[in-house]
Amino acid sequence: MLKIKGVNDNLVILFGSGSYDDFLTALLNKLSTNTDFFKGSKVLFRGEGLNTLASDEIINLQKICLEHGMLINNISTPVESNTKQDLFVYRNIRSGQKLRSEGTLVIFGDVHESAEIVAAGDIIVLGKLEGIAHAGCYGNINSMVFALNFSPGQIRIANNFSRAPANDIKGYVPEVAYYDGENICITEYNPKARYSK
Amino acid sequence: MESKVIVITSGKGGVGKTTTTANIGTALAMMGKKVVLLDTDIGLRNLDVVMGLENRIVFDIVDVVNNNCKLQQALTKDKRYEGLYLLPAAQTKEKTAVSPHQMKNLINELKKEFEFILVDCPAGIEQGFRNAIAGADEAVVVATPEISSVRDADRIIGLLEASGFREPKLIINRLRSKMAKRGDMMDIDDILDILSIELLGVVPEDEYIVVSTNRGEPAVTDTVSKAGAAYRRVARRITGQDVEIYTGEETSSLVNRFMKMVKLAR
Repeated sequence: MLKIKGVNDNLVILFGSGSYDDFLTALLNKLSTNTDFFKGSKVLFRGEGLNTLASDEIINLQKICLEHGMLINNISTPVESNTKQDLFVYRNIRSGQKLRSEGTLVIFGDVHESAEIVAAGDIIVLGKLEGIAHAGCYGNINSMVFALNFSPGQIRIANNFSRAPANDIKGYVPEVAYYDGENICITEYNPKARYSK
Repeated sequence: MESKVIVITSGKGGVGKTTTTANIGTALAMMGKKVVLLDTDIGLRNLDVVMGLENRIVFDIVDVVNNNCKLQQALTKDKRYEGLYLLPAAQTKEKTAVSPHQMKNLINELKKEFEFILVDCPAGIEQGFRNAIAGADEAVVVATPEISSVRDADRIIGLLEASGFREPKLIINRLRSKMAKRGDMMDIDDILDILSIELLGVVPEDEYIVVSTNRGEPAVTDTVSKAGAAYRRVARRITGQDVEIYTGEETSSLVNRFMKMVKLAR
């Protein structure tokens, strides 16, 4: 009904099936058992169960987390977080910046060297990709990375990892990276091809 | 009076933030503007040396924010130009001696008196950086044509944008046009392609900078220094004048060749 797990440096509270009152008691139970552990951690609300809640009920649950010394990491409003979020970004991602999407990530701009972009699903860069891209971060090996100008430092798909060859020729054709069951493959993008999906 | 508060920053150390602050500030004062240079590199102050004012400092920025002295007492007057002042950093304290909030209040005080407030930012992205950008409205990022400097500039631009600076501008410092032309060094276009921000100016590598720093006389006061001329252009652009950006091309006009013959030009 209510699960708490650590994903990267966030605590994700997963809402299963249940009513508001069920969630409330479950949350208070969990928080009271291990007060110190939760203090100071960043909290994300996720899961299908959120769809059944009204936004002020979600806000109440977030307030409880705040009162226990936790930080709410939801950048968007609670109502929007009901569904898996595709993220559209209209700017350049610069060195040292990290971007995360719970769905597909689409960037209208460049991803600079040593910037990091992570998505649960596919990553599409309508610009130059020079940073680190991690598609399928929760384990979806069918995720792809696409860029108009494809010269990333690293590509990660689910648990697989690949880095740019040292003598990489900077490509100016749209390319796509996908996992073929053994390796991460990078190839010129062909709309007719079915990349492992 | 509308004041401009400009922070000069870079991320990486040693790319010429302090030299740039001193020269732009002096050039603005030469144009008759009322300018204060604010050194926020607490613990590692340098701007006073570059300006040649190190022996005149009595009070510093930490004294001001702690009310140990009045603001007027800490403002050190420049020895050459009317209307140019330095508010020095403390040398014996650390960055945490001042908070971003205190810095904002201080700059608001300075705004009452000065047209231009140039904030010399320390290297790094920690509290010193946060202090330096706290009260500023505009940001100038200094980068040299090296991959490490450009990456740090990119990082800094990202942090500036996240802090609400809409259009940070770029100064490329220490460009060696001959090396860039040979392809041995990044050229202006390479850097702009990576950073994609507006160029404010290009300053060529110039040995005279070493001499001027040692003497405590900013290069803009020298009539033949190439870097000095470039900084004068930057200052004019800051005041809104439409001045062409120096691109590293040698001007070999007859006058220039004649000047070289009589050893007026370096």
